[in-house]
Amino acid sequence: MLTNYFKTNGMVMGWGLLLLVFFWIVILIILPQIYMFNLSFHPHLPPPEMGGPKDFLTLENYRYLVFGADGNPDGYNKVDLLVFIRTLTAAAFVTILDLFLCYPIAYYLGQSTGGGFVRILVLLLIIPYWINEILRAFAFKIIFGDSGVINEFLMFFSVIDSPIDFIRANVALYAGLGYAYILLMIFPMYNVIESLDRNQIEAARDMGAPWWMIHKRIVIPYAKPGISSGCTMVFMLSAGALAAPQILGGPSSLWFTQLVYQWFNTGGNWPQASAYAIILLLACLVIVLSVMKLFKVNMGDIGK
Amino acid sequence: MIKQPLYIRIGLALYLFMFFTYLIGPLILMSITAFNSASFPQITPWEVLTFEWFPKLFSDDRILRGLKYSLYVGFFTVILSVSMGLAGALMLTQIWPKLRSTYYTIIIAPILVPGVVIGISTLVFWAEINRILGFSADSYLQNGIFLSVLGQSTFIASYCMLVFVARLQRYDTGLTEAALDLGATHLQAFRRIQLPFLAPAMASSSVLAFLASFENYNTTIFTHQKFATLTIVLSQKVRYGIDPTISALAFIIVCLTVLGALIHEVRTRRVQLALANGAPVGAVTGGFKAPKFFAGNPAAVVLGLFVGAAVLIIGFAQVYDPAPAKQAYTDQKRAIQKKAIEAIQQKARDKVRERQMKGPKVFETKKGTGTGSPGKDSFGSVFKPNNLDEAAGTKKKKPVGVNPGKGAFGNIWKSDNLDKVAPKEKGN
Amino acid sequence: MSSGVAVDLQDMWIKFGDFVAVRDANVHINGGDFFSFLGGSGCGKTTILRAVSGFLEPADGKILIGGNDMKGKGPNERPTALIFQNLALFPLMKVWENITFSMEVRGASAGERRKRADELLDMIALSDQGDKLPSELSGGQKQRVAIARALCAEPDVLLLDEPLSALDLGLRHHMRTELREIQKRVGITFIYITHDQGEALTMSDNVAVMRTAVIDQIGSGKSVYDDPSTSFVASFVGMNNMFRGKVKSISKGQALVETNRTGNLLARITTGATGKLAVGDDAMVFIRPEGLHIAEKSAKSNTRIKANVRHSEFEGTSYNVFLEGDAGKEMKMSLVNRGEARLYEPGAELTLQFDATQAVVVPAGELASE
Ligand SMILES: Nc1ncnc2c1ncn2[C@@H]1O[C@H](COP(=O)(O)OP(=O)(O)O)[C@@H](O)[C@H]1O
Ligand SMILES: [Mg+2]
Repeated sequence: MLTNYFKTNGMVMGWGLLLLVFFWIVILIILPQIYMFNLSFHPHLPPPEMGGPKDFLTLENYRYLVFGADGNPDGYNKVDLLVFIRTLTAAAFVTILDLFLCYPIAYYLGQSTGGGFVRILVLLLIIPYWINEILRAFAFKIIFGDSGVINEFLMFFSVIDSPIDFIRANVALYAGLGYAYILLMIFPMYNVIESLDRNQIEAARDMGAPWWMIHKRIVIPYAKPGISSGCTMVFMLSAGALAAPQILGGPSSLWFTQLVYQWFNTGGNWPQASAYAIILLLACLVIVLSVMKLFKVNMGDIGK
Repeated sequence: MIKQPLYIRIGLALYLFMFFTYLIGPLILMSITAFNSASFPQITPWEVLTFEWFPKLFSDDRILRGLKYSLYVGFFTVILSVSMGLAGALMLTQIWPKLRSTYYTIIIAPILVPGVVIGISTLVFWAEINRILGFSADSYLQNGIFLSVLGQSTFIASYCMLVFVARLQRYDTGLTEAALDLGATHLQAFRRIQLPFLAPAMASSSVLAFLASFENYNTTIFTHQKFATLTIVLSQKVRYGIDPTISALAFIIVCLTVLGALIHEVRTRRVQLALANGAPVGAVTGGFKAPKFFAGNPAAVVLGLFVGAAVLIIGFAQVYDPAPAKQAYTDQKRAIQKKAIEAIQQKARDKVRERQMKGPKVFETKKGTGTGSPGKDSFGSVFKPNNLDEAAGTKKKKPVGVNPGKGAFGNIWKSDNLDKVAPKEKGN
Repeated sequence: MSSGVAVDLQDMWIKFGDFVAVRDANVHINGGDFFSFLGGSGCGKTTILRAVSGFLEPADGKILIGGNDMKGKGPNERPTALIFQNLALFPLMKVWENITFSMEVRGASAGERRKRADELLDMIALSDQGDKLPSELSGGQKQRVAIARALCAEPDVLLLDEPLSALDLGLRHHMRTELREIQKRVGITFIYITHDQGEALTMSDNVAVMRTAVIDQIGSGKSVYDDPSTSFVASFVGMNNMFRGKVKSISKGQALVETNRTGNLLARITTGATGKLAVGDDAMVFIRPEGLHIAEKSAKSNTRIKANVRHSEFEGTSYNVFLEGDAGKEMKMSLVNRGEARLYEPGAELTLQFDATQAVVVPAGELASE
């Protein structure tokens, strides 16, 4: 088998390919994750004590998320647990928001014949995606801030007389997150819908199906891989977002990634940060995989 | 889209309009704030048209340094992730069918893994390697650029891989075999046959990798160490106090993006048109004829308008001097402020009188409600209207308009800064 | 001009995993021969060619080129050049660059390459097309460029994988003669793959007829046509009427076969089948349509067949008469048009005869499916 591989690639190319792929998969992807996983089961120690007698395997870092520090009067680590759950539900909310927002446009673009107008629309779609994540969040801060465009506008027309705190109400955060991942929702759906034979829709319409029926019975089942691919990406990315919550989140709306960041940066507690990162990763994976299973979509469809 | 009922068409138009307002509106608003002289990025109240934030942006050391590090990181990330992505894609076409889906899952996974997870794992892993090898804490294994490149490449390579896989699906491996059969070595066959075929994918994955690296935050925030890239610098600025230099930067980035997108669109469209007309591509891409260039190519028209507008604005910035308008505005504002201050003073006097009558309790409550909590909400205070006056006050002391004779844009567009910031634009 | 180099396949097996694509192939190809592999699609022809050019390593057995064992040598180390089924012209290179690619990888200068390209372009009658891209050529022109590209590598053996299958009929016939002429001119060994027996018979010095994964017979075109070794070859090469039965007796190289529906038939045992038939064995008798005639009085009973005309058609040089024998047995007869124009009416009852040396008998076996 391996001789066949070197036969098709030759020695130089064969080894080059193998080395690059090995470096990527083993050194960059797998080993760091394994090491982080391992680290998350160790106590937080200063470097000289690592590997010493105080260094033993422990579940403490995971226990902390559930029960908090020793002697916690609540019994549970309410703050962190709440953040955890809120992050996942909010990410799900953003995903659904994007889905409803993007499906019509994906359908429209996918079924259009691709004239100049549509090409410009596609350009318009792509441009915001290439603007820096920070700047996108910044734009929403300008819009939703206390003296932002919307508040000033509303106050100017005397709809309200004191600024609405959009930031605290998380409106800015949801709008900003939804905005950030629009393209990731549209493109997978667009790609699939584009390959849907227009005749199918015409035929259905011919048989008198109303428009919602056409979508329910023909377009959506066909576009399912695209839809789930888009939803997966948007969910994972919004649950893992850090910049937008930092910039657009109100004082109370901590995102789980912010906790990770705090443990890491402010606390300098790498094992604890690793444990939180692992929990985030596992939670996202479990949710995505079960949803994919539920809708009978497989991994190979992701990224198409 | 044949004959829809009217209400559907109107609904669709409305939806499209709202959708694209949501998409483009924020960028436009943000860009506009770059030209308002107010010291906080805002549209209302509109003070005076100014270009001063641009020179300020280019004299900001942290931003320039961030840009430099971003370019370093971007450069190496492009090289590493494009080669790994290419190798990964080539391997995908050859790996044993039984292993294929596992392999694909592994190399696609970094796209789905949250960036913070990749950032942390990269950092802790290499710190451990560094410790095992007994290197000092500031060895190159702990260098922020090294770590950022590795962290970013982990998942950017997956994007590149996807681009290559798409292209490779249309590659006839018979071509490589034909080359081998004609006596080429594997390396020659790859370089001379497969690589030229992959060239478009190389180009687009390089651009993709660079942009992804340039804008990456989640991973880089953990790996950058002392080398804060532009995105990191921006995030710190946005979180801990903003001024419109960021809007200026945003405006420039928006323009570059639009320009890049338009150029790309114009080129693909030209090729398409050429193919549609049955002419060899070279015939059209070779000569440049204005009417032909624009014909049937809306993006080209937009590009033309865009460039025209840019020339006009820059030209205007050369001669525009915001000082008089600003003076007028400040005078006006000062007058308003004076009145406001008088009013406040009057109130204060009233309150003092009140307090004297009611006792000290009122004073405490007043203090609590007034300022909010700056500790929790680090930028909140910037939004508060009364800070505006303070900021306006400091601005008054500075000389307005860096170089009124040459215009505010002069030193940006003419200095060698241009080369650093806009390598793309030079080519055009 | 080289005098051509011999190619030998010795006990060669090729497998893809557990799947056997080529089973125990033994072929000797003379230097300078135009040698064809003829077989239906999927029978393993391309696989053999790929093994000879070095893209596949045989699971077992040897490949010798000019007497040298090719084991472990890559395609770029073998003195072969392959013309791919889809030609595989490099789409991003100009025609002349395509043709001289083999010189480029050896480091020849551009001037040298251009000169050689012009010579070869002259040879394939595409003199002024060198600066075009392959996509700007017609099918036949591409074909010729592929040949020139392969010849430019100066191989000892040229391998061609169904090179004409993509061309339209007229061009295909023209290219047959052209290819044969090129081969005569350069004098090297050609190994040619085709599923078209017309091509194989007209062009080749020798033909190997392949059944799935197995080579059934190797010989000149005439011998595989007139003297098939197996039932597969007999049914695959040319049109044939087949009669199943059991061997009743054998004498002087002929066998009397008691057929299921047509009575006793006498036929010649072919060279390849000699010694493989015994009395009582299942056998198949093959009689070509042109081997059947209208019976004369003197015909012996075991070279005579009774049949009814179903319909007949006139083909210019011959009549084709479709007949139905006893128990619905279908047959076809071809009569050369000698001027006495006669179309037999449907239903007419005929007695046919054949020459026992033109009818062949082989052991019963696999048939080529239509
Ligand atoms: N790379 C391969 N892997 C597995 N099976 C193959 C491969 N190449 C060819 N085969 C199988 O080997 C048989 C012979 O194929 P091939 O030599 O291409 O036939 P042909 O005579 O039409 O050229 C076919 O059944 C084909 O499916
Ligand atoms: Mg074949």
